[in-house]
Amino acid sequence: MKIPYERRKSLYGYGFISVWLIGTVLWFLKPLAESLCYCFMDNRRLKPDSGGMQKVWLPLSDWQWLGNFKNAFTADREFRQALVSVLRDTALTTPMILIFSLFIAVILNQKFKGRGFARAIFFLPVIIATGPVYNIISGNIAMTGADSGAQFSTLFETDMVDKLLGFLGVMNISDSLSTVINTVTTNIFGLVWSSGIQILIFLAALQNIPPSAKEAAAMEGATAWEYFWKITLPYVSPMILANFIYTVIDSFTKTDNAVMLRVLTIQQKDMSYAYAAAMSWSYFLIVMAVVGIITLIISKYVFYEVD
Amino acid sequence: MAEEPLQEQEGRIPASAVPDVHEAHEIGSGMTKKEAMHIRMQHMDKAEIAALRRRQLAEKVWPVFRFLILFGLGFVILTPLLFMISYGFRSRADMSDPTIIWIPRHPTLEIMKQTVSAMGLTKSSNNPLLNTLLLNIGCSLCQVASCAVTGYGFARFRFRGRELLFGIVILMILVPTQIISIPLYVTFRYFLFGSVNLIDNPLVMYLPAMTANGIRAGLMIFIFRQFFRGLPKELEDAAYLDGCGPFRTFLKVMIPNAGSSFLTVFLFSIVWYWNDYYVAGSFFSNRKTISMVLKNLDATLNVAIFNNANANVSVREKIIWLEAGCLISITPLLILYACLQKHFTEGIERSGLVG
Repeated sequence: MKIPYERRKSLYGYGFISVWLIGTVLWFLKPLAESLCYCFMDNRRLKPDSGGMQKVWLPLSDWQWLGNFKNAFTADREFRQALVSVLRDTALTTPMILIFSLFIAVILNQKFKGRGFARAIFFLPVIIATGPVYNIISGNIAMTGADSGAQFSTLFETDMVDKLLGFLGVMNISDSLSTVINTVTTNIFGLVWSSGIQILIFLAALQNIPPSAKEAAAMEGATAWEYFWKITLPYVSPMILANFIYTVIDSFTKTDNAVMLRVLTIQQKDMSYAYAAAMSWSYFLIVMAVVGIITLIISKYVFYEVD
Repeated sequence: MAEEPLQEQEGRIPASAVPDVHEAHEIGSGMTKKEAMHIRMQHMDKAEIAALRRRQLAEKVWPVFRFLILFGLGFVILTPLLFMISYGFRSRADMSDPTIIWIPRHPTLEIMKQTVSAMGLTKSSNNPLLNTLLLNIGCSLCQVASCAVTGYGFARFRFRGRELLFGIVILMILVPTQIISIPLYVTFRYFLFGSVNLIDNPLVMYLPAMTANGIRAGLMIFIFRQFFRGLPKELEDAAYLDGCGPFRTFLKVMIPNAGSSFLTVFLFSIVWYWNDYYVAGSFFSNRKTISMVLKNLDATLNVAIFNNANANVSVREKIIWLEAGCLISITPLLILYACLQKHFTEGIERSGLVG
């Protein structure tokens, strides 16, 4: 019995991914489906001790259908506030992170003494910023148990913009505007600390700009400014999209953002798993919708070099 | 035999004879760069000279600006680390002294020692450091191996449903762990139809890692797929022609070519496992890892140092133990980073995340 070559190769393909496939059904798809089912169930029946957690398929009479979702969006004020604040913060910080990391990547791509050292420092946050260490150094000790730690943040913070506005005599700008300004400027530290991977990706993209493009620009006498807009930006644009998606996903799935904290409280203190599942699913779907729409918009402006 | 060194000597040009030349126009003219520039400028009109001057000025000023920007931001990044060191080695009294900001007046190792013992790093059984290292290295090795195999499968073979299955990989990147953690807990609690309780067993971390479903596995599969797609196909075709099967080709031809990519992904995996407290915290209650200990350090401190679970010590004083704990828990990562910094930063480019 001889299996044709193409067929055999595709079988080998299944062989290579089989380990992952088994794992993903057991540890990813099954829990995902279960948690989707939890969303529609009755909180009171889904308790760890009553055995309700073991079998997913409660009798249909125990299903609550959309009750949990209705609860999350109409009754739960904290959840709505958390949702709005996370969406707003992400909308404000993401463009800042992208611009900042592109700027730093352009600088770190130039030739100068001590470049290796500078790069090492700028990527340092990548290895620390994800853990509980970040909570402690950002003074967010409430996460670790004690209250009112915010004043002991060891992060570098500044209210330069406030001072500048005060100096210029601008005192009464509207509240919402000053919140926006504060979110963006006060937390220079957060900005620098969350751009490590993005700088890395941009830097790699900058190094992939073909030398021919650089030479052509130099021959035509392009200034650094023109070079940035006409050469750098188009070549880097696919990575702007990638970085955008990475940044948004990263900030939405951080365990210490407001929505995630709310979900965790519901899960651990109230033990309302069904409700927590409904919240996290609706959050996830909103995030996906936002990412999808913006990706569609950005991808129209992305330049792909065709070889 | 005897002639060889002689030949080499003849072929070599003595270092002193090589002129100090940087650019082509300097050769043969005998002029310095400045003189050559002077002659060139005599043939220029005013606008050209002005443009040249401006460029020269910009070239002189920009490095200063660049230094200031990098220095300032570098300082912003390093501030918390410097504070950690400064806080970790000072005594409790120094925190009530407003004149002390950076340099402690009473430097002491006491706080570090207390924190080490409060974190349980001196225990002989169930030592968090040992737990973390075992989990970390074991899971990372398993995960790199399984993700590499999967990534290779997606990169080089055509099979039905490949796009759909790869869509699941993308979904793995997008779905936050929080969504699946509760059902996963139930799965492990009542493993094998309720006959085995895997909670607190290291297997809860090892099983997903072995099947390419550990922490951030989706991203790792994605990186490996991109990387293997970038390798030339001729490598494998040669092996196939010589009668090598796909699995042996992967082992003998592809893996040796992917060394640096493996190392990069392995290092990142170590970092992710080291910093993870959510997944470990969901499945472990008695078995502690460094991150979990650090997360609960505040409560632990109350019991271990102040002998009272509800001790009301002001945060101002407690922060020195917390910072000491931070310092202890990131030191291994910092050492790793300092030694293998190149692989962290340059590996990503080669690992094919881009392109």
